[in-house]
Amino acid sequence: MSARGIYTILFLLLPFFGNGKTIEVGADKEFNSIQKAIVEASYNDSILLFPGRYEEGAIVIDKSISLIGINYPIVSGSGKYEVFRITADSVSLQGLNIVDVGVSYLKDLAAIRVENSHHVTITGNKITNAFFGIYFAKSHFATITYNEVIGNAVHEHNSGNAIHLWSCHSAMIRSNHVFRHRDGIYLEFVERSFVINNISKNHLRYGLHFMFSNYDEYNHNDFSDNGAGVAVMFSRFIDMCNNTFSHNWGPAAYGLLLKEIYDGYMENNLFHTNSTAIHAEGVTRTYMQYNTFRDNGWALNVGGSCMDNMISHNNFINNTFDIIGGNNQLNTRYENNYWSEYSGYDLDKDKIGDIPHRPVKLFNYIIDRVPESIVLLRSPFVDLLSVAEKISPVFTPENIIDLKPSMKKFNVTVN
Amino acid sequence: MKPYTYIFLSILIMGCGVSTKPIEYGRDQCSYCKMAIVDKAHSAQVVTNKGRVYSFDAIECMVDYVNEASEADFAHLVISDFSQPGKMVDARDAHYLVSDQIPSPMGAFLSGFGVLDSIQNLPERIEGETLTWQQLKNER
Repeated sequence: MSARGIYTILFLLLPFFGNGKTIEVGADKEFNSIQKAIVEASYNDSILLFPGRYEEGAIVIDKSISLIGINYPIVSGSGKYEVFRITADSVSLQGLNIVDVGVSYLKDLAAIRVENSHHVTITGNKITNAFFGIYFAKSHFATITYNEVIGNAVHEHNSGNAIHLWSCHSAMIRSNHVFRHRDGIYLEFVERSFVINNISKNHLRYGLHFMFSNYDEYNHNDFSDNGAGVAVMFSRFIDMCNNTFSHNWGPAAYGLLLKEIYDGYMENNLFHTNSTAIHAEGVTRTYMQYNTFRDNGWALNVGGSCMDNMISHNNFINNTFDIIGGNNQLNTRYENNYWSEYSGYDLDKDKIGDIPHRPVKLFNYIIDRVPESIVLLRSPFVDLLSVAEKISPVFTPENIIDLKPSMKKFNVTVN
Repeated sequence: MKPYTYIFLSILIMGCGVSTKPIEYGRDQCSYCKMAIVDKAHSAQVVTNKGRVYSFDAIECMVDYVNEASEADFAHLVISDFSQPGKMVDARDAHYLVSDQIPSPMGAFLSGFGVLDSIQNLPERIEGETLTWQQLKNER
């Protein structure tokens, strides 16, 4: 037989190589313990977990296997242990209901902890009452999809994060629902990863939290009712598009907190009913366009050392204050935005207001200096001051000005 | 003066004291990095000589803050004792541990202890470098 013939036969047989066997675990099956089944399993096997309750302490998965739950079998950490620890590549965990993970302030106990293992897939699991939900450390090419992680962090401040990635790259976090943890999705030293179409609500601190992470993208997510909103900190090249940030109320709560961000890009996001929609500090070379800021206390609070930013084609609608921030914004440009506050006119009908708009009112400036003066909001005296300032500006920053304010709202469709 | 005047005056004086203030976890914000403070085991606080209180989510934030100002400006410097989360101890007398086994909120792997022995008494063996306040200040 020719060499080519042998190769052809080998190629045709390819689907039959590497097919593992199936091991069943359940009350009346050959195994009744997950850990024992894993010990017996070999590379590429599938373990089917039949409905029931499994309490085995910490279960270690050190082989490349798939663990598949049927009708959400309950795997419990008895309120003391972490539940799964994955230390092998290409493990897949699917359809499990993991409950009652232990709480420790020294160790980050998690429902599923993945260490130094790549290409791990966690999909379609329900995790309830966990300290940490899904925890990846130094594990690349992770797939985390369709999981529901519900914590019980209501008053407990020593709670963990729902999805926590540390020192990972190339992760895909998609279509998860995470509720009531400390941070919904926490990424520290994570690169080239995607966070897409997740719902992250009712967390004590942040719905999404980036730290020291570069080249990541998050889009089509919904972050609502979080203790402090969303924080993107000390990161470069983050794309943020089509997200909703809403109902983040409180003195230290922001729709989005940007701190030390370089080369960010934001488009098509919706910020509504937040105390502060965006708080920016140390934001450099960042584009913000086609975002909508509606019914917020402050739409944009631009703090110190923000440089070379471009803010254009955004809608600022019915915010108590649109922009707050001093003269220290070097080369930050506001261009062609729609301001519901704008009181100018458009005689030449080019849909661009004929007189420039200054979004910082005198009272913004006063409140920035003396926060207590907020009690004077809506007082006629303040309105009078604002009018006087508008006619002959003295205090309001010279360089925060939109020379071409749009007369029409921009159509922004999120999701 | 009537007794209630004394009581009133003493309350007035107490209210003006230069002292630390309990951190409201989940509500207070770090004065340095603006993050909400939630981690009871790593929080810190300073009080200036004028009585202004600044809270921090992590000891590393406090050290950076103090280094940017001058230490003499602060009447109190306190940190949370890692072995008893939420209990504040004097930062100048505390012992500091840098260990990659214990992550801290701002990525410095730094925790503080009131008593040096409590590092050995942790439920698990922790490997790391211990520092004094002066060493910590110089290192950052």
